[in-house]
Parts: sequence; structure tokens; C-alpha cells
Amino acid sequence: MPITTGASAPAAMDQIILRRREVIDTFKQELIRRLNLPYQPEDLHEDVSLLGSGLGLDSLDALEIVLCVETCFKIKIPDENVSVLRSINTVVDFVLEQRAQNGGPA
Amino acid sequence: MRTSPLKDSLAAAGAVGRERHGVEIASHFGDVQAECGAVRDAAALTDFSFVRAFSLPENPGMDILDALLAGNVPKIRFGRVLHTFLADPEGRLAADCFVANNDQEFIFLCESILPDAELDALLATAGVAPVAKDLSANHVVLSLDGFRSWEIVKKIFGADVIGLPYLSIENYQFAGAPVRFIRAGKTSEFGYLLIAPASIAAGLFDTLRAEVAERGGRLAGADAHDALRLEGRFFNIFREGERVRDPLPLGLQWMIDFEKEKFLGRDAILQRRTAGLKQKVIGLAAAEGCRELTTGAPIFSAGRPVGEVVTHGLSHVLNRPLALGLFPVELAYAGLEFRVGSPDGAVIRSISMPPIMPRSLTVKLDEM
Repeated sequence: MPITTGASAPAAMDQIILRRREVIDTFKQELIRRLNLPYQPEDLHEDVSLLGSGLGLDSLDALEIVLCVETCFKIKIPDENVSVLRSINTVVDFVLEQRAQNGGPA
Repeated sequence: MRTSPLKDSLAAAGAVGRERHGVEIASHFGDVQAECGAVRDAAALTDFSFVRAFSLPENPGMDILDALLAGNVPKIRFGRVLHTFLADPEGRLAADCFVANNDQEFIFLCESILPDAELDALLATAGVAPVAKDLSANHVVLSLDGFRSWEIVKKIFGADVIGLPYLSIENYQFAGAPVRFIRAGKTSEFGYLLIAPASIAAGLFDTLRAEVAERGGRLAGADAHDALRLEGRFFNIFREGERVRDPLPLGLQWMIDFEKEKFLGRDAILQRRTAGLKQKVIGLAAAEGCRELTTGAPIFSAGRPVGEVVTHGLSHVLNRPLALGLFPVELAYAGLEFRVGSPDGAVIRSISMPPIMPRSLTVKLDEM
């Protein structure tokens, strides 16, 4: 993984933040609504573990997260790809990568 | 200084010790990377007797702990474990805690950054001392972690043990003595905490050590656990917790029941929550050999200081330095580049955590 990508220029940073924040905000709001989590979106750190430790969600919740991503972003998480569900940030990475592969902005 | 009942066994095994908050701990056994590797690929045994362990009777223990801790203790189902924290009256972190509902008792474990006397004073504000049995005086706490650690506990305690979900407690016997057994690792791999009376500590330690060695594992120290927690993005009170102290920028809101009317530090934490989060801790990765990545190092963006490194370590899996940095929320996003140490220092990149996929996630214990 190269460590330098040119993402340090202020304009480039703004673009990355904007794209990422849009996915994060949508995902958090939908996650809280679907799973009835007792938190505000700003209470959910993007690195918090979704399953096991952290939010402590179970396998049924995991299914709900997969559906949530499908509904919100029209992107399907493959059944075998459990690594996507490690944290909010890893879900967001997956969504942005899929969008980039489909020709959208990453 | 408090020492482990296993001090002699650890010294004979080559432990390099140090003092941490008034407790002598085993830092490492000569090769931290090999110790991390043992957890990722096999199993490792670590003396966790630095953890303060208490037993409280169900009544009034439940109410006492609930008045003290940020999480909701009455909601802990029988046989389950709550991961939460203890704060001081100013809402600053004091201990990372597990509370287990174990039949007629609550087991209360504290990884504390306060010396024992200060922790005791804090616990006294909720009346813990008169009802609690301090197990730390005559028990050991052993941590067995690793991709293959489940094989060992299955062999010693029976097949039922592998059916225990994460964050649960069960009682077993070893050499005729009771062992409180908690599934609750912080390495991303399978992990178990065993609380055993000092009378059987050496025997249990030797048995576990032999089983670990048979699987290519080894003894591990606190330094390896620091690296593993960072790699798995488990909260580490001894690193980023001690540096930041405020649970909100650390992302520990999930440990808090905001609807509780009372817990130590509640008012201060809620006041800060209402004021809005100003800073946040996020993950960072640096190029191999980056020397500027030290705790406290300033982080720069476009020539101006924007944050600081709050902990760092070497990832065994990725073979590169990782860190956590404290940033203003406006910049606390993965995928950005910064400079560390000086405006022209080494490049570091904010990343999504955890950056690794633990091998244990690929194992389905219920199919074993």
C-alpha cells in the first residue's frame, strides 16, 4: 500500500472528506433507525466494532446491516465478505470502493 | 508495589518486568513480535494479574456497580459480561472494566490507570469496599489468546466451553478449585480470562503454558497486548486512554448508557456531549521505519499543527507502524495524508480501523 497519494492538498482533502461524510451520515442514520440503537449519529465513532465487542450486534443485526447498505447505496455485500462488517469505517470503505469500480467518485 | 502471585514463574521464564501504576507487570519475554505472532497464528499465555478483580454479592452489588459505572449493570443477563468504564467525578477515565453476572455474584474487573489506593478511594465513593471481596489479593488472572486458544480451553475444561459467546462467564474446576472463566479477549483473536485461586495458580499456569507451547505458541507480555489492541482497534486504557482521558473523543460512547440517572462522572460527560464533540481519535498508518511516529508527536496539515499522536506501535500483521491520533472532528476522516513531527516530517495516512482481518473470524466454533 503506497503511503503517498497526494491526498494532503487542501482541495483534495476537502473532496475526500465530503464524499466520505455523505456515506457515513447516511449509513449511521439508517443503522440507528433500523437497529433502534440508543445513540445519536455523533455518538457512533466510525471505528467502533459492529459485531462482538463495541456495538455488540449479532448475526441477525449483521443481516440488517447488509440490507441497510443494499437499500441506501444500491450495493450488495457478498455473503462471504464478513470483513466488510468490522466497523462503520470498513463498511464506508466498501461502499466508496464499489462506487469507484462502478465509475462513480471514490 | 503490587506483584503477581506468578512472579517467580514469570521470572524463571525470562520475563522482563516493569512498573505500571504501582503494579509490577511482565513487559515481554524477549521478542514482542514473536509474541504477537503467537496470538495471530497459534496461542499465547499472559499473566493479567495486574487487573483488579472483585466479587460482589448480587444484592447490593448490582446497585453499587450501577451507581459507579457508565454501563447499565442491571441489564446484564445471567452468564453475560458488560464492557464499560469507570470515570472519576470529572468524567475522566480511571479504569476499563468488565462486569460479569455470575450466579449469586457480580465479578468486577478493572484495568486501572490509578494506583491501587486511588482506585480504592474512587470505589469507596459508591460503597464497594464493605461488600466486595478483593480477589486480587489471593487470585491470579490469566489471559489465553489466539487463533488456536479455543483448542486448549476445550481440552482442559471440556467441549461446552467453545459454545460460550463473546462476553460471557462460566464456572469450571481445575485441580479441585473453582475457576471463573470469561470469554473476553482484546486481541481480535479468540480470548479467555481465567480467574483462579493462588493455590492452583502455578499448576494452571504450567498446564496452559505446556498446551500453548505444543501448538507453537509462547508466553506473552503487556507490550504484545498493547500492539495487538492497537492492531485490532480495541480500546487500551494504558495507552490512548491515559493520554486522552475523555471517553468521548476516544469513541467510547458505546460503553455508556446515556439514559442512566447516575454514574460517576455522568454530569461532566453529559455536559461535554451536549457541548458537541470537538476532537476525535482516529487510526493512522506510516511507512515502514517511520521514526517520527512517537506518542505526543504533533501532526501537521498544510504546514499547520492539527493533531497529535496518542499511541503507536508496530503491526505484526501489516509489518508497518500504526498509531492513533487526536484530530479536530472536521479532519477526523480516513483516507487523508498528514505530516508527523514537523511540517516537513514523514507522511502518515489516516486509515479505517481495524486494518486487519483476524484469523479467528474465519473459524466457526459452533461447527467444531
